[in-house]
Amino acid sequence: MLYPADVYADARDAWSSLRRRAVRSSLSALGIAIGVVALVSMLSIGEGAKRATLQRISSLGIETVRIESAPPLNAFAGVDVTNLSVGLTVADAQRIAAWLAGRGTLGYFARNDEQLVTAANHRALATVVGASADWLPAETLRAAAGRLLLPSDNLQQRRVCVLGARLGITLAASIGTPLHTGNQICKVVGILRPRGRLLTEGTGLSALDFDNALITPFTTSPFPSGARQRGVHGMLVRLRNNSPASLPGVAENLKAILRETHRDVTNYRIVVPYALLNEARDTQALFQLVMGAIAGLSLLVGGIGVMNVMLSNVTEQTHEIGLRMAVGATRARIVSLYMCHSALLCFAGGVVGLMLGIAAALLVQTYAGWAVAFSLLGLCLGPASALLTGLVFGLHPALRAAALNPALALRES
Amino acid sequence: MLIQGDNLHREFEFAGKSITALATTSLAVTAGELLTLTGPSGSGKSTLLNLLSGLDRPSGGEVRFEDQPLNSFNDAQAAALRNRAFGFIFQTPHLLPYKTVVENVALPCSYGGIRDAQTIDERAHGLLEYVGLAEYATHYPRMLSAGELQRVVFARALINRPRVLFADEPTGSLDAENAHRVLSLLRQEAVAGKCVIMATHDAEAMRFATRRLNLDKFSHALPG
Repeated sequence: MLYPADVYADARDAWSSLRRRAVRSSLSALGIAIGVVALVSMLSIGEGAKRATLQRISSLGIETVRIESAPPLNAFAGVDVTNLSVGLTVADAQRIAAWLAGRGTLGYFARNDEQLVTAANHRALATVVGASADWLPAETLRAAAGRLLLPSDNLQQRRVCVLGARLGITLAASIGTPLHTGNQICKVVGILRPRGRLLTEGTGLSALDFDNALITPFTTSPFPSGARQRGVHGMLVRLRNNSPASLPGVAENLKAILRETHRDVTNYRIVVPYALLNEARDTQALFQLVMGAIAGLSLLVGGIGVMNVMLSNVTEQTHEIGLRMAVGATRARIVSLYMCHSALLCFAGGVVGLMLGIAAALLVQTYAGWAVAFSLLGLCLGPASALLTGLVFGLHPALRAAALNPALALRES
Repeated sequence: MLIQGDNLHREFEFAGKSITALATTSLAVTAGELLTLTGPSGSGKSTLLNLLSGLDRPSGGEVRFEDQPLNSFNDAQAAALRNRAFGFIFQTPHLLPYKTVVENVALPCSYGGIRDAQTIDERAHGLLEYVGLAEYATHYPRMLSAGELQRVVFARALINRPRVLFADEPTGSLDAENAHRVLSLLRQEAVAGKCVIMATHDAEAMRFATRRLNLDKFSHALPG
């Protein structure tokens, strides 16, 4: 029967013994440390990629489908196809809205970047967005002051606008402030809560900084070509009460609608953030599998090194084992002593590996620009796997020590 | 009888041959005795000590301690018996080099007997004082002479107040003065009521014995 106090006493003896053989112990712990460095850096890079992906998907909206105009693909690439299809239009939006039939919200917009906006003594360059009233709630934009756009603003072509949070501050605008953009004037009816940028990296979608946007009713937006053709730059479909798994199917339906209305000209791009999430998960799983295999192999090699050192220690300490047995150590206590040896050796390697792994991950973040994040589970897993390696690879030497005949062991010098 | 061995013999297998380490031997020892085992090298003195102390198991025969057969003890029970009832002094005073003198004395308490740290500490210091090494309590073994080391081993053997002391050539590596001190201590313990069984070649050691057994004369082979 082993008591915690017995194991504690064995751990103290084991630690003292390891310190006596500092160089040998350090070298064998180094193998474990390298394995843990691989494990910790892999987990922190993986965690960083996961959080960045989740942040991006969350920014795009997990339950949305985004459609944006794009240069024509397939057989029409590089060919003027405006006689076949002018691109995304309000008519497309209306067809999709009809297909949705209340199962979700559809918003559409047209945009113009780097537009000069002036208010009394202030001016700023901003993205001017002409949007349908439904686009703002579909993008989960919330008013910090005033209101969002209303359907009636579009219907009655009111000269009103909603400002992004930062733009409002830059222009020192408040509700009712008249703004000039291009040759038009609009009155501020709302200022948005900070929302940040639409994180579109790697999705093919165009970025949009909501905080530096001026949003006007689509029907009043100052885009000559857009106004004439009733063309839009993008649409956003947000479904209600649907599981995200159904979104790729919805996207297929939208594609079918657009294929028909665009006469097979693929001059649009449909992005399902949920599908991106799955793709990112697959890529990440592959990355983690490869890195996990490398870390596992490193730990295996380190563990074999530790077992080798432990077997040497048992051989060198045969007399000591005999002595301990003579004064009353049971075989269980000898196993405990040598398991403590290998566990401490590996745990020490694991702690060093953890610190080096954190440093390696931070270096990757600094010099390679990869997102890195540390989770408590990931940080605990390094030393825990080192400890487990110690217990697994220490078992054989410990059992070998315990199997010694005390009388014969005492005769060893 | 405190401890007795009946028809003990021990054989080892080596390179397919059976080698007799101890011919069939019987003996019985009571408390208060200091028994010296003598005999030429290879006569089985150390083997007999190992069998009596439960460090080894006989190929035949039986060891009884207070009428309990050691053969029926499992490894853990034999370890517990060695821890609480037996003390060991070896020819080479082996101590753990990474422990201080007082920690070495207290080593058997890690495996049983008294558990209270303060009691262990007091008893270990008391024993070091008894063997004249109180001022070396916090020293490490490498800082002590051979005679001093053997006295530390003696103190360690007494920490759990054993009933039997097994000494295997305890003066083998000591000069005459240190040998005398160790032998006096052993005799003192026998007088105090412990059973002391000592294997020795040392003629001086035999003078301290209350009974002497020459293993060659004492041992006898049972008829085959």
